[in-house]
Amino acid sequence: MAETDSCHGRRMTTHTLPDISDRQAADGPWAVETHGLTKKFGANTAVNGVELLVPRGCAFGYLGPNGAGKTTLIRVLLGLTHADAGSMSLLGYDVPRHRATALARVGAIVDEPRFHGHLTGRQNLQILAAAREPAARQRIGPSLERVGILHRADDRVSKYSMGMRQRLGVAACLIGDPLLLILDEPMNGLDPAGMQDMREMILSLVAEGRTVVLSSHLLDEVERTCDAVAIVDKGNVIRQGPISELLAGASVVLQVECSEPDRAATLLDSTTIGAQIDIEPQGLAITLPSGTVRGVIAEINRVLVDGGISVYRLQEIQASLESWFLSVTSKLGAPE
Amino acid sequence: MIATRIMELRKRRGLMIALVAVNIGIPTVFLTIRLLTHALAPASYGPAGGYDIYTSLVARIMFVFGFIVAATLGCTAGSVDLSEGMFRHLVVTGRSRLALYLARIPAGLAIVVPIVAIGFTVVCAVCVFAAPTQLNYNGVHVPANLSRPTLESWAADHPTEVICDFPYNLGPSSGASLGNVVQAVNCNKGPNGGTRIFKQPPGVQPPPQPTEAQMRNTARTIARISYVDYSRQFLYPSNSLMIESGLWLELEAAIGFIVGLGLASLIGQRTVAVVLMIVLELILTPIVSMNVIPHLINAQRAVVGLATTHLEPGDLPLPFGGGGGPGGGRGMGVLVPESTTVAVCVIVAWLVVWTALGAWRMMTRDA
Repeated sequence: MAETDSCHGRRMTTHTLPDISDRQAADGPWAVETHGLTKKFGANTAVNGVELLVPRGCAFGYLGPNGAGKTTLIRVLLGLTHADAGSMSLLGYDVPRHRATALARVGAIVDEPRFHGHLTGRQNLQILAAAREPAARQRIGPSLERVGILHRADDRVSKYSMGMRQRLGVAACLIGDPLLLILDEPMNGLDPAGMQDMREMILSLVAEGRTVVLSSHLLDEVERTCDAVAIVDKGNVIRQGPISELLAGASVVLQVECSEPDRAATLLDSTTIGAQIDIEPQGLAITLPSGTVRGVIAEINRVLVDGGISVYRLQEIQASLESWFLSVTSKLGAPE
Repeated sequence: MIATRIMELRKRRGLMIALVAVNIGIPTVFLTIRLLTHALAPASYGPAGGYDIYTSLVARIMFVFGFIVAATLGCTAGSVDLSEGMFRHLVVTGRSRLALYLARIPAGLAIVVPIVAIGFTVVCAVCVFAAPTQLNYNGVHVPANLSRPTLESWAADHPTEVICDFPYNLGPSSGASLGNVVQAVNCNKGPNGGTRIFKQPPGVQPPPQPTEAQMRNTARTIARISYVDYSRQFLYPSNSLMIESGLWLELEAAIGFIVGLGLASLIGQRTVAVVLMIVLELILTPIVSMNVIPHLINAQRAVVGLATTHLEPGDLPLPFGGGGGPGGGRGMGVLVPESTTVAVCVIVAWLVVWTALGAWRMMTRDA
């Protein structure tokens, strides 16, 4: 077990497990690296000069509103469609030059996982395993067991629910014993218990030293699962980094429950405290800029009390990933 | 990878049922009915097998429908990964797209070839083992496979049947005595009952009744004249014909599969590809094969159906319903002419070009 700071997050260790110890990838700190990656569909630029760095051994969230170009970027990375400009590498291998080598160590779900409906889950995996290395066939059973559908492995996929197909998609990724998993909306169709299972599975995969890139519109899930995120909007990556660092730069909202909200707002306006003040029926919502020190909150309390305002409650609310996401993307109120 | 592709196709029940039904079921049902009817009423219904049944089944049923079903299988193999969402899973494995495409060819052929072979074996078995015991030569039951002297000897023993019913043509050069004998035999068929043509010289008295020796001698002569035609009549197909026909059917089915695979991969759709293949086989090929279009004859020669028809084993009737018949050749005269070399080149070109097109599209397609 070796410590690394590549994720800048809460899981900062990589594990050397028997099943992946012999899978030497090219050197380099990044599982995914793109420079100036561009993909156009006619006049529409779906991916616009994307610079993306995904550290190895962590869960990385890839977020963006509808039509931001998330799935297109994933498809370009996986060679499902070609890029118009830029360079990229997976696990240190230049793509597309070494695509076959790189993809041999990558598992991916892109869009909705679909399979041959007339075949069983196990048979579908046999087809995919046959396209991979010989050892992949031995991993079919363990992969099905790991995603929790071993008992339905010999049922036809046409009888599977959406959630089961999602699990089968993850199993399809696992048969390649991947160092990098790229999961596009893996929580789709899962019930709450299934989402929890998926979250735990992703965490366990990361704990094994694998890298998971998670594209999801479920910001809460991403926040609970991922160490770092990138926000994409209109084909551009507009922010990326560890979640803790990104949220540290977000504004803080101070909820103040007090008497005479109008007069309280006037009092605060007359001070030098730089804040946006919204009057609410039971008090004020004060948005403070990022990096606000606690002394400012104490100063607000002092000003109100000195002005004869009764302060009943004062609560600092940290920005969530969702509120931060909405604040930095162009489609306010329309998260994916 | 080939084994899993075979499994993927083999598990398509509807398609497999159609493949088996056409290639095995139709000939089996047809021959079973003939076996039963012959067993129940042999006087009314002839033997189930035989040469004529064989040639009709092979050239008119198994050839055409075998192609269509094989093409349907090819179209399925070429399009379902895309339509059912497996294509991107396969691409993400890192395996080359060309390898993914090429794996389908042996996989499909591993299904098509045995099924065609089984159906063909059924036809051969019934046509040989349930063949007539006597040759029906223009309505006369004659022992089969006789040598020329033996046939003449047999004819001498059956002079009236030979003189009245064998197909032959006597001109004035055959001699007046021979013509007189033929003219004098009472065939009880009315003025136009016989097939022979004899011109009585004007002013000549009707000949007297021939003696038995004259009758026998005339029958021998007619047998000698008819021997070439007789020798082309068979009770059942020869081994060489069966081997050639089997290989020819397999070739046609393989062409159907590979062209269907390439076409479906190219357009990414099964239904449209199947319709196009059916149109090619049932409409386009018969038209361009049997009608010479001035200035377009070389384009006509490039149609694969014409090429495979030119490679058809001898004595089979044309697949498109024209020409020949039992023992009478296959009517190649009605086909657009093409040399065997050109026919082989056309077939190879079709296989290579459609494989290349399908592979190219698979390698460049967005998944």
